[in-house]
Amino acid sequence: MTTVEKVESELLDVSPGKAAGARLKSSGFVRYIPLILLAIVIIVIGLYTPNFLTARNAINILRQSAALGLMAIGMTTVMIGGGIDLSIPSMMAFSGILGAMYMRDGGNPFVAALIMVGAGMLGGSINGFAVAYLRMIPFVVTLAMMNIAMGASIWITQSVSVAPINQGFIDVVMAKFGIIPMPVIFVAIVTLIAQVLMKNGIFGRWLFAVGTNVRAARVSGIPTQRVIFSTYVVSGLFAGLAAMLVVARLMSAAPTMGEEGVVLDIVSSAVVGGTSIYGGLGSPLGSVIGALFITLITNSMNMMKISYYWTLIIKGLVIVIAVILDSLRRR
Amino acid sequence: MAEPYLRMVGIQKSFPGVQALKGVDFEAFAGEALALIGANGAGKSTLMNVLGGVIQPDAGQILIAGQPVEIHDPLQAAAHGIAFVHQEMAILRTLTIAENLYITSFPTRNGLIDFEQANRLSSSVLARLGHDFPPETRMRDLSPGDQQIVEIARALLGEPRLIIFDEPTSSLTSREKARLFEVIRSLKKEGVTVIYITHLLDEVFGICERAVVLRNGETVGGGMLSQLTYAEIVRLMIGTADVSSYFRHRTAQIGDIILKVSGLNQKGVLSEISFELRKGEVLGLWGLMGSGRTELSRAIIGLDPIDSGSIEIRANGSLKPIQPRQAKKWIGMVTENRREEGLLLPKSVKTNISLANLPALISRVWPLVDNKKETQEARTYVDRLKIMISSLEQPVETLSGGNQQKVVVGRWLQRNPVIYIMDEPTRGLDVGAKAEIRTVILELADAGAAVILVSSDIDQIMSMSDRYLVMNRGRITQELPASASKDELIAAAAGGQ
Repeated sequence: MTTVEKVESELLDVSPGKAAGARLKSSGFVRYIPLILLAIVIIVIGLYTPNFLTARNAINILRQSAALGLMAIGMTTVMIGGGIDLSIPSMMAFSGILGAMYMRDGGNPFVAALIMVGAGMLGGSINGFAVAYLRMIPFVVTLAMMNIAMGASIWITQSVSVAPINQGFIDVVMAKFGIIPMPVIFVAIVTLIAQVLMKNGIFGRWLFAVGTNVRAARVSGIPTQRVIFSTYVVSGLFAGLAAMLVVARLMSAAPTMGEEGVVLDIVSSAVVGGTSIYGGLGSPLGSVIGALFITLITNSMNMMKISYYWTLIIKGLVIVIAVILDSLRRR
Repeated sequence: MAEPYLRMVGIQKSFPGVQALKGVDFEAFAGEALALIGANGAGKSTLMNVLGGVIQPDAGQILIAGQPVEIHDPLQAAAHGIAFVHQEMAILRTLTIAENLYITSFPTRNGLIDFEQANRLSSSVLARLGHDFPPETRMRDLSPGDQQIVEIARALLGEPRLIIFDEPTSSLTSREKARLFEVIRSLKKEGVTVIYITHLLDEVFGICERAVVLRNGETVGGGMLSQLTYAEIVRLMIGTADVSSYFRHRTAQIGDIILKVSGLNQKGVLSEISFELRKGEVLGLWGLMGSGRTELSRAIIGLDPIDSGSIEIRANGSLKPIQPRQAKKWIGMVTENRREEGLLLPKSVKTNISLANLPALISRVWPLVDNKKETQEARTYVDRLKIMISSLEQPVETLSGGNQQKVVVGRWLQRNPVIYIMDEPTRGLDVGAKAEIRTVILELADAGAAVILVSSDIDQIMSMSDRYLVMNRGRITQELPASASKDELIAAAAGGQ
């Protein structure tokens, strides 16, 4: 349990406005709830499922949650600024497909990785431009982008999955250090970097300010439009990074990688991890833990042979509860 | 005189950090138009929001026609015959006039809305206001003035016995204004009580019989308008404390011109604003609310766009024209509403105080904010401004108004700009906090900064300014020296009305 407590205190540390006494009194307990839930779920599943609390299974779940975790970091960045990015999964699929096609046609795997990340960032900058500079509504902009990226993916692949993928690419991305898979290490490192930049980087500080009170941020000389624009580029970047992991794991790329259910998982991860849908609160680390939680639910329900429909219903309930807690926190 | 139709007794209301109403007694009689006058923040709107059921008082009683009543929400207020025409219009832009008028009370036939009747009724109520718009017109196709007329028509629907007009003429043309006054006169004849909130004294003398003046949440005077003058009312609004009790020991040398504004225009708001500001100078921007003081401050710093004009700032020895959006590099801005535009309320004192200065707090090794440096700097300004906090991590929303304001000021001190614009820096603060903010401002000027000070508090502005620019209706109408008397300032502010 101590590790969970440690994680909790880290989480609380994240918002630059961490506030010892007063905040704990007013809303602190509510902020702990997601992690308490995670602990309870782990214990309950552990009691009912043999072999659940083993190192092997833990690593398995970590690996499965890697791509979701990355996309959740991107989503969190956008949400702290007060927006939302529904296009993350379809942009992930589209950039993965572009990179995979390049490799299928004999391209260099390193360049392919750059293509994936670059395509994600390009899509993100279109979103960001529309939201920040054209003042369009994030929900609509990214919903449109979701459809555009999805349509483009189906069009360029003709719904046939893109394979084979360069074996070197797969080997590098899926390499193992001891028993720990590369994606887990990669996500851990990226999360740490994102966490530090968000907490003490200028951009991170500006982002929290914009998300908390955009008018005060503007008066203080913060380039608010540029900050909002950047959040969508960051989220595109993470969609591209996630694409690398997914393509390597599947050893192919297909439009179905960005299926609609994924976006709900991403939002759930962020909100369960303490990101506020009202902006101004959240952390990369919290969202990655949220992604673990969501993966855990999906997985254990699979293992317990609970039907897919029930899984959807329970995941829906999880997000509703998390949002209720979020709005309680604002009182 | 007869028994007042409305009596409000001992009304008190506090908001976090401010006591907006300090036990106000207020009476209005049937068939009179009563002007409720006061400077920005005097408590006029709060008092009327209590009457309209928009906010609940902490203490006090309301009597209508001698009967005590409870008003918990606007619907109850309506049930007691009270209608409220708000300053910010609550219109549904995409719906028609008739729909806007009857949105809560559509006439029905067989369970469906009877649009024919709604339109007919709408036309008749509009005719009463001297308008003949087709009732199917969508609100967004009307001018702001016409929208206001519809808003007033809606207030008339319930046949109220008391109508509150909150700054009703701010978007009306003079013709529309004349028609509104006609309506008010006919309402008075019908025995309706009209409470008219405004800061435009012309209108007060044109339409009202009696005035009540509020200042800092208290009733400070009033009476029959036939026995009052402009200057007397302005004096009541602004306060009459003895100015000679303020001493100004300023040793600062006023230096070179540091800011030069020429021919600044913002359509309908500011016209042909030109002035200069010098190093070490406190320039008092003086005028009544709505004279354009705040708008000018915001235009200079690029928060609101300007239509024409130039702004020059002295950088590296010579005056250079700049774009308003670059102005924040040199100008620190303390806005009039610290909660909305000043602070990140749930965030810590430290976060708030470093907000404008993050790039300077970067560590030498990483592109990250250096925690030690940040804490040190925050600590420096917390100590210097004597901000009372339990820790640097305390959220600013838990601080008192005075300490919150010091956090905003501290943020800019840390950035150390050459020019400060302080818009109502002492509003809502207690006497002690006011004095401390004043000391800080004078120290800044002594250290060579230039300060533009906007304040509705004549004692505050007189205790600091080296020179005054008087504004009226978006223009600079007069320039007065530091030696100007209170009477001169009051006359200048009321001037032209």
